[in-house]
Amino acid sequence: MSDETIDQLQPQRASRIGVWAVMKAILKHKVSCVGVVIIILLSLMAIFAPLIAPHDPNEQDLYHVLENPSRKHLLGTDDVGRDLLSRVIYGSRISLLVGVAATIFAAVIGVILGLIAGYKGGMVDMVIMRITDTFMCIPGLILLLVMAAALGPGLHNIIIAISLIGWTGFARIIRGQVLMVRELPYIEAANAAGASGFRIMFRHLLPNSLAPIIVAGSITIGGVIMLESAAAFLGLGVQPPTPSWGKALRIGYSYLEVVPLFSIAPGLMITLAILAFNFLGDGLRDALDPRLRGQGKKIE
Amino acid sequence: MSKLLEVKNLSTHFFTDDGLVKAVDNISYSLNEGETLGLVGESGCGKSVNALSLLRLIPNPPGKIVSGKVIFEDQNLLTLSEDDICRIRGNRMAMIFQEPMTSLNPVMTIGRQLMEPMEIHRQMTRGEIQERCLDLLKRVHIPEAPTRMNAYPHQFSGGMLQRAMIAMGLTCNPRLVIADEPTTALDVTIQAQLLELMKDLTREFGTALIIITHNLGIVARYADRVNVMYAGRIVEKSTAMDLYKNPRHPYTIGLMASVPRLDQDMKKKLKPIEGQPPDLIHLPSGCSFHPRCSYRVERCLNETPELKTVNENHEIACWVDVRT
Amino acid sequence: MKRYIASRLLYSILILFFVSILIFTLARLMPGDPIQAAAMINTDLANPEIMNDLRAKFGLDKPYHEQYFLWLTDFAKGEWGDSLGSGEEVLAMFLRRLPVTLELFIGATFWSFIIGFPFGIIAALRRNSWLDASLTTTSIIGVSIPVFWEGIVFIYLFAVILPIFPPSGYVPFSESPWENLLSVAMPTFVMGTQTAGLLARYVRSSLLEVLGQDFIRTARAKGLREKAMLIRHAARPALLPVVTVIGLSWGYMVAGSFLVEYMFAIPGLGRMGVNAVFARDFPVIQATLVIVALNVMLANLTVDLVYGYLDPRVRIH
Repeated sequence: MSDETIDQLQPQRASRIGVWAVMKAILKHKVSCVGVVIIILLSLMAIFAPLIAPHDPNEQDLYHVLENPSRKHLLGTDDVGRDLLSRVIYGSRISLLVGVAATIFAAVIGVILGLIAGYKGGMVDMVIMRITDTFMCIPGLILLLVMAAALGPGLHNIIIAISLIGWTGFARIIRGQVLMVRELPYIEAANAAGASGFRIMFRHLLPNSLAPIIVAGSITIGGVIMLESAAAFLGLGVQPPTPSWGKALRIGYSYLEVVPLFSIAPGLMITLAILAFNFLGDGLRDALDPRLRGQGKKIE
Repeated sequence: MSKLLEVKNLSTHFFTDDGLVKAVDNISYSLNEGETLGLVGESGCGKSVNALSLLRLIPNPPGKIVSGKVIFEDQNLLTLSEDDICRIRGNRMAMIFQEPMTSLNPVMTIGRQLMEPMEIHRQMTRGEIQERCLDLLKRVHIPEAPTRMNAYPHQFSGGMLQRAMIAMGLTCNPRLVIADEPTTALDVTIQAQLLELMKDLTREFGTALIIITHNLGIVARYADRVNVMYAGRIVEKSTAMDLYKNPRHPYTIGLMASVPRLDQDMKKKLKPIEGQPPDLIHLPSGCSFHPRCSYRVERCLNETPELKTVNENHEIACWVDVRT
Repeated sequence: MKRYIASRLLYSILILFFVSILIFTLARLMPGDPIQAAAMINTDLANPEIMNDLRAKFGLDKPYHEQYFLWLTDFAKGEWGDSLGSGEEVLAMFLRRLPVTLELFIGATFWSFIIGFPFGIIAALRRNSWLDASLTTTSIIGVSIPVFWEGIVFIYLFAVILPIFPPSGYVPFSESPWENLLSVAMPTFVMGTQTAGLLARYVRSSLLEVLGQDFIRTARAKGLREKAMLIRHAARPALLPVVTVIGLSWGYMVAGSFLVEYMFAIPGLGRMGVNAVFARDFPVIQATLVIVALNVMLANLTVDLVYGYLDPRVRIH
């Protein structure tokens, strides 16, 4: 049997929802619209930081340290006289980069392990799922602290550490999906047709699990941004002088009474970023989860 | 016999995202003490909404009773205060729902759920209530009633649960019981047992009964009178006998032809009604049944027929007088 | 029920075994020799002889699997080792700091309950109204707002601008109950915010789902008034998924306590953990990780048991 025939056997691809349908659903969902707008603005800010930032973020001016907002420095200056606004603008790069990169890596690890666990079943499933449970016994931030301490500081290590922590949720979701989809007639048909396990997993099981991965992904990006900045706040983050929201918050916190914006402004950006991805995740869930679709329309 | 229930021009509409659904559209009927009325129609025809409207159990939003009167024991239920309608529910008028598995609370014992109506409506001691419930469980043929009282719904079979539901509906000795597809989820043999049981009990207590069903056989056997509904309206109203022998509305005729009858030639083929049940948001113009009707005339497309009397006990809403 | 409890316990023990391996591995992954690392911070130890003694004392000269079993048996016996930084016994440190963190946990749970439940219930009962929309949006904000930023804003507003609460520090209850409450008011609120938001969302969706079920209609048809219906029929089934969230949050509140104790200078377990990580104080790190994992697992186990109690379908097979 050819792959096309198997595709025809598939009753409906619940999660292969058109991009347009998803966009329309998000546009209808006011809160997720707000999320999308914030995400776009933050991304533009990160990409065009050199054009937007009024000053070089690393230019120190030791005659003007810890200043409150002025015409020259709209948000004031930090402890070594760098322009806070510029540093906040550049800071979006680290947060978004870590958020997106770590989430993608975590998703890849989680999806592969989840697919294998769900498809193979038996002992393999047992071991993978117990490992997942094990990781879930230690909250992310604490795992991150220990891992970052083990790996050493630096952007790469932070991304690696967060990826090694964040995969568990994806693995669980995928495994659940696979277990559900595995029994459907068209997968059995593919099996009977002699498609290889690898092929079945990636060509048939994975597409059906895309919707929940996308929802989880959006929310995970928010979570990763929170983790990264929390770690930076505690003192484990990117190396100076790279501008980072979490780092600025950590230092600014000591000068809260003198220059409140030093810590409050970057913190607000962190909150906005997390909020935006959670808002989007919410809208996506409503749009992609068939269980939630069409609620309140049943009559009899 | 005195009139127990009179429904006048009742309309219940649902305001959905996709548009307005006139689930019940201007229907009127009445019911006497101790009488059994059958409400027949396809799913989606508004028969359940009609029943729920009587007790004001329509979920709002999206549903709303937009007009009409429901006169029960000489008071209009639609204008009662929330407190007063609560005094009627489960007490003077009770409901037995379809799907006993989901209609009973999964985390509460059968006993507690059974005793609840009397706890609400009767000033009786716990002991007295318990005694009456045990008695009722025996009446509906549930064995080992005392231990069953402490069991949870998931420990019962579907038939047992429906028996318990029937007992629950009867605890306060209501004047009217509405049974909404009470047996659809069950085996055919159990269906018959339960209907028989329900009929016996209501006859014994002198309770009036409204049976909602899509099964004409049930109606013919257990109801005194029948209302046939289509797309939110009553299209034929008659005594059960007359309807069965002499259906006059094309829809009823179609329904009859689609179920096997013992009193007819077994070789005669069953004929399903053609076409799809109507889309309730975009109802056809004129008579809603016209696209599926083999008797239709020009007039059916433009004008909606009202019920008119064709003989003493028989009314139909049709422009064509079909005599079979 | 007994079999159910037994199976949950057995599962917990299995996971505990896996967790202990993870923790042991993580501690060994720290770069270099933990003793050397500690010596860099505590210069008193920077002496080859003392360092070798310490290695022998911790069994670091033995193969890994032996080290692992040594650690496991010692830990079970209550011999958690001494802190490399202060030399104090880790178990004693833990016991001294436990009540402080416990107070934070209880306070945070208190805040999350008195905010989360009413928010969720009101939103569900007023579904699709402006009130629902604003409560639900507030809940998402509550979930999204990072503990450390909320803490800073609160300190700025209620300790700097309006000096109502102390900006940091902790006063034990035994010293002054009033000052104790003042000192934990902000940290516990900040710690509980995320849980409050989560609770509100789960209470709302779970209650909405239950209210749409057939048995609620049955309850109404019996003549139960709205309030009685909610309490007698809706509350228990609606609580089931909420219990899971409460358990999860309790387990994960540790992360909040790390941040809150760090920024408010509260001498609890979280601060001990943060300090230990930066000091590479590995006996303390190991112990902290075990405590954290045990807390999560106990929370999960409690959830399972409460679930069994609330849901007869789980209890009776």
